[in-house]
Amino acid sequence: MRKNREIKVIFALVAVFFAGFLAVPMISVLVQSFTGGTEGVSLSHYVEVLTGRGFLKALGNSILISVCSALLTTVLAFVLAYTIHYTNVGGRYKWLISKAAILPMLLPTITYGFAIIYSFGKQGLLTRLFGRQLFDIYGFNGLLLGYVVYTLPIAFTLINNAMGYIDKRFMVVSRLMGDSPVQTFRMTILIPLLGTLATAFIQTFFLCFTDFGIPASVGGQYEVVASVLYEEMLGSVPNFGNGAVVALVMIIPSVVSITVLHILEKYNVRYNKISPIELRKGVKRDVLFGVLSGVIMAGTLCVFLVMFVVPFIDEWPYRMDFTLEHVRAVFEDSQLYGVYINSVMVAVATALAGTLLSYGAALVTARSTVSGKLKKALDSIALVTNTIPGMVIGLAYLFVFTGTPLQNTFPIIIICNIVHFYSTPYLMMKNSLSKMNASWETTAMLMGDNWLKTIVRVVTPNALSTLLEVFSYYFVNAMVTVSAVIFIAGARTMVITTKIQELQYFNEFNEIFVLSLLILFTNLIARAVFRKLAQASRNRQNTAKIYRFSAKKAA
Amino acid sequence: MLELKNVKKSYDGTPVLTDISLNIGDGEIVSILGPSGCGKTTLLNLILGIVDSDGGEIIFNGEDITDVPMEKRGFNIVFQDYALFPNLNVYQNITYGLRNNPQISSKEEVEDLIHLLGLEEHLNKRIGQLSGGQKQRVALARTMVMKPKILLLDEPLSALDGVIKESIKDRIKTIAREYNLTTIIVTHDPEEALTLSDRVMIINEGEIAQFGKPEEIIGRPENGFVKKFILNQLEIKKNNIYTLFAGQLDGQAQVC
Repeated sequence: MRKNREIKVIFALVAVFFAGFLAVPMISVLVQSFTGGTEGVSLSHYVEVLTGRGFLKALGNSILISVCSALLTTVLAFVLAYTIHYTNVGGRYKWLISKAAILPMLLPTITYGFAIIYSFGKQGLLTRLFGRQLFDIYGFNGLLLGYVVYTLPIAFTLINNAMGYIDKRFMVVSRLMGDSPVQTFRMTILIPLLGTLATAFIQTFFLCFTDFGIPASVGGQYEVVASVLYEEMLGSVPNFGNGAVVALVMIIPSVVSITVLHILEKYNVRYNKISPIELRKGVKRDVLFGVLSGVIMAGTLCVFLVMFVVPFIDEWPYRMDFTLEHVRAVFEDSQLYGVYINSVMVAVATALAGTLLSYGAALVTARSTVSGKLKKALDSIALVTNTIPGMVIGLAYLFVFTGTPLQNTFPIIIICNIVHFYSTPYLMMKNSLSKMNASWETTAMLMGDNWLKTIVRVVTPNALSTLLEVFSYYFVNAMVTVSAVIFIAGARTMVITTKIQELQYFNEFNEIFVLSLLILFTNLIARAVFRKLAQASRNRQNTAKIYRFSAKKAA
Repeated sequence: MLELKNVKKSYDGTPVLTDISLNIGDGEIVSILGPSGCGKTTLLNLILGIVDSDGGEIIFNGEDITDVPMEKRGFNIVFQDYALFPNLNVYQNITYGLRNNPQISSKEEVEDLIHLLGLEEHLNKRIGQLSGGQKQRVALARTMVMKPKILLLDEPLSALDGVIKESIKDRIKTIAREYNLTTIIVTHDPEEALTLSDRVMIINEGEIAQFGKPEEIIGRPENGFVKKFILNQLEIKKNNIYTLFAGQLDGQAQVC
């Protein structure tokens, strides 16, 4: 069929891209783990890594801290989402919760670590406010706090969305059937949400397990897998073979968790209709959850409070005068300012190319009649990118592209980001495209459009709001990612997050916080702009519909 | 007997129901009929107790239940989309209420209901495996197990097609007669309302346009709204049917 030709070209392009930038690099990690860059093939690296006491200890630590963080995060996220959906605390407060809960997403994880040091450390802001250090921040406690703050937005978004899709009328049925409040809660909220709660738990576990930014700053003596990997690769005695082994070990939990997620998906309860009901009055419940949510938000935000304070103070904690000197210094330092420009540039390029790539792939799977095998192949690519931690992709690129013209260039960072964050945009696009009327292409074709024209004139305008959301997703994530780029950013191609990692060695915390604030505000603005644009494009579609409708009526 | 006296309800200052008063006798089947947005679902929710009225009284068997919470009123509802618990099978759904109040229906009574609604062969199925009509019957059974004092049905037939519609209609009638159960049905379909119920209440813009027996509504429509929207629709349907069967009718006429 003629219309499949363009689709097949798109498929080929996407496939070649991922073959070159996903399959080949990952295979090379596997090869490196046996050879270590030399000629001989042996298991010596496996033996060395796995029998070394340090590594197994780090692995145990990683699992323990990730499980604890994931449990805590899931519970906290549930409380926040519950407050929004099942209490009458007032629209403004709910709005505040939904915004505050996702704020940490707009910052690199490495910032959390420093924010924790400056809040709860010996000279920290909160330590001074309370008059004593609340807990020892280096090691388990600091990691736990950092991970929870880091993963709360993701868990919250998952649970919050799922709660929005629960048919609340079941609560009425359950009450009419004589259920006690506890039974109603179990039957109409907990059971329908089980799949989502498990998903949230696994997703946050995975994020904690693979994050590098937080252990880099507050890990202390508490070794985790990510810090071992960094040490093997960029430490005093780099050992590529051992690094490859650690990277492969890092993939195992992700593969397991993604597999479990896939299985869980089948158990998600789906309602065919969502009907809003008036919630039962319950002052005690409202107060309890209002306060709980307030405490969680305050806890999250107070970690970041320091970011807004320290850079504006002459010399923390000794000379506490207000000054804009540090901010000015960053903007005058052409190198630091240049790093900011680099970051924005990389983020924009990532967003542009990434959106295009995911749109192309989603067109193949959601709007064409090519064979199921091709579609399955694209779905599996998305699944695979989801299982591979950013650090591992970065490491793989280090193996493959060192010595090629791509080494230390911006394109390699951009490609790394595109591959690393590919899964969610692809699914967003696919979801939105498959919801559109399936007969559009045929209709347009009958009216004389060719395939490309149909895509440009019909499909793209209707997908515009999703395209913008995908763009915004890529942009924000490219701005904050640390783990994917630490191995591949060169001196010339420094982005903010790698710069922060470097500044850490010189204890330049003012610069770190100013740069973090720059990221935060850039992301806030970008998100706001894209949200407005997406809304505008949706509204335009709606008004257009109304207009057509009234025109028909008049006729 | 259920009695509403001057009941009102507004949402954000917009009146949805203005001054509704009515009486419904024991064992009566009453349909609430009106176009979408007329306030009929709100009226149903007020009677059930999901929403509180802004004024007026709701009286059941002489007792003021205006401020009695939903689960204490003893009424029950079957929602339009049935709201069956998807994680439980048919039998678990039907007997759901018995876990909380085992004495409410005996085993025989449950079996009678299952038999009456023809659900014997589906008891072990999951909700997802059922057709629309089967789901409707399961939902009816689940509600009937609770022995409600009033049975409320929200658009019970709108999601069903042709023949199934007629059979569910019969089941509803049978159940109401068998248990002498006051049944209140919300619908937007005049044919459904007029063929299913003892009395029909037509609501328009938050007020009762007419409340009477089907033959009264057909014979003596009280205002323009009833004529225009209710009778007109039926008239068109009637003519369509007559046109379809014209040949047969002629044939019959000749035989006679």
